[in-house]
Amino acid sequence: MKIRIRKRYLFFILAFSSAIFNSIGSAFDAVSQLFIPDPWALGIACFVLGVIVSGLISLFLSIPYKGKSLGAHSIDPTFKRVRLLKRKELKYHLIAGFGNAVLTIGYFFLLSLMSGDVSIVLPFTQVVILYLVIIESLSEKDTPTLVEVQSSVIVTFGAILGSLTLSGTINLTAIAIVFLVINPGWVLLSFYQRKLKMLKIDDSPNDAINIRVWNVIFACIFTLIIVSVFDIFMGTEHVMAGIRSSIDQYFWVFLLAISTYFAFVFYIRALGIGKASVTQAVKASVIVFSIPVSIILGYYGIIPAFTTDPVMIVIKMMGIMLMLLGILSFALTLTKAYVFIRMKPGYDIETTMKQLWDIKGVNRVTAVAGPYDFIIKIHTRTLIKGYERILRKVESVPGIDEFTWQSVLKEWEDI
Amino acid sequence: MINAYILVSMQPGNSDKAIEEMRKIDHVEKISVVAGEFDIVIRVKVETLEELLHATNEIQMIHGVQKTTTQVIEKEIAL
Repeated sequence: MKIRIRKRYLFFILAFSSAIFNSIGSAFDAVSQLFIPDPWALGIACFVLGVIVSGLISLFLSIPYKGKSLGAHSIDPTFKRVRLLKRKELKYHLIAGFGNAVLTIGYFFLLSLMSGDVSIVLPFTQVVILYLVIIESLSEKDTPTLVEVQSSVIVTFGAILGSLTLSGTINLTAIAIVFLVINPGWVLLSFYQRKLKMLKIDDSPNDAINIRVWNVIFACIFTLIIVSVFDIFMGTEHVMAGIRSSIDQYFWVFLLAISTYFAFVFYIRALGIGKASVTQAVKASVIVFSIPVSIILGYYGIIPAFTTDPVMIVIKMMGIMLMLLGILSFALTLTKAYVFIRMKPGYDIETTMKQLWDIKGVNRVTAVAGPYDFIIKIHTRTLIKGYERILRKVESVPGIDEFTWQSVLKEWEDI
Repeated sequence: MINAYILVSMQPGNSDKAIEEMRKIDHVEKISVVAGEFDIVIRVKVETLEELLHATNEIQMIHGVQKTTTQVIEKEIAL
């Protein structure tokens, strides 16, 4: 059996797996924090051990088994082995690594600012979904439709409500860090990881495992640089403390790094299939998966016990329901279609291709030999938009003689 | 590397089974069930024309397939 799974299912499986690993990671996060109370040192320890862990797991996944690597069997079919960077990847990796470093430092700064309890501001990191929607609307090919904006808003606020706890105090600096440091850092990280995943390396798609390994390495370097500069100016010794604690307290940080590794590898693979905003929205389901984790942590007294306040429970339930509804509407509203096109004689093929490609919603233009001259693939959220925004534009391209629209009802894809 | 679309017209009935068969064929990258002039659009990725012939042949052998039209891709722009 060659094609085992439908693409849409695969996307949700990947994003949900990422969310599950993420929620497990957050448990180790909480435990590690008990052993390494200095947030800067914890950040450094995470990245230093993260590089080691990612390298080791990826080397293990590079072991060939039955003609393919273990990683290709289990995680990403395009993965062959850990490799050096290609020149064209470098620029994207620098930006993604910087984004990861900024967001992590922002997060740990927030922790130290609010003496460990960030429960009231952290939910606002979910607003990053809206940042992604806005940026996608600026980059031409990806105009979000009303459904996407709606669902994103629903998911975002659902996630905020669902992860809210009222133990901390709110302060403006903390909110500013979330909106101006953490979320922009995350935007850089997810956008450029997506770009990396879409790159072709030696004629096959880039794999999530190499992207993750190199991202941790760059993020580690940037973090060390930024924290060292901070140390020099403030006369503190966070870098040394970080390296010391990564040796002394390696066990929990090690577990943290392993779960983060898998959370990211699945996330990057999902990014290769869906838009950054939609992937992020599905991954927001982490708040559902983290409920059992918080109950367990609360039981052992590592974090405050799970709320029993009926008002809070109702708010959380509302949040979770909103979020699931939003995710569901992302899942159910994507429509795809092929348009088969015949050309009039006397028009340039390259120019016509370019004109077709410039239409928003057209994801693929192919010039073909056979009864038709072009086959284009269209992704749209509504059929009305398919007519208003796409078909009418196709009609107006001068070289087009006739065309037929073929709505895709169901699709399987080998990925 | 040659990429091609194979447009398939089906006889009514039996399409579920036919798609199951198609999913097993080598070099098939994507299968889309469509509504319109054709019934199924298959995308294949092959090394040689020989392999393309082989893939087309295998599709035509499937019970229920009425007619296939092969469109070889000459140039492509994609996201």
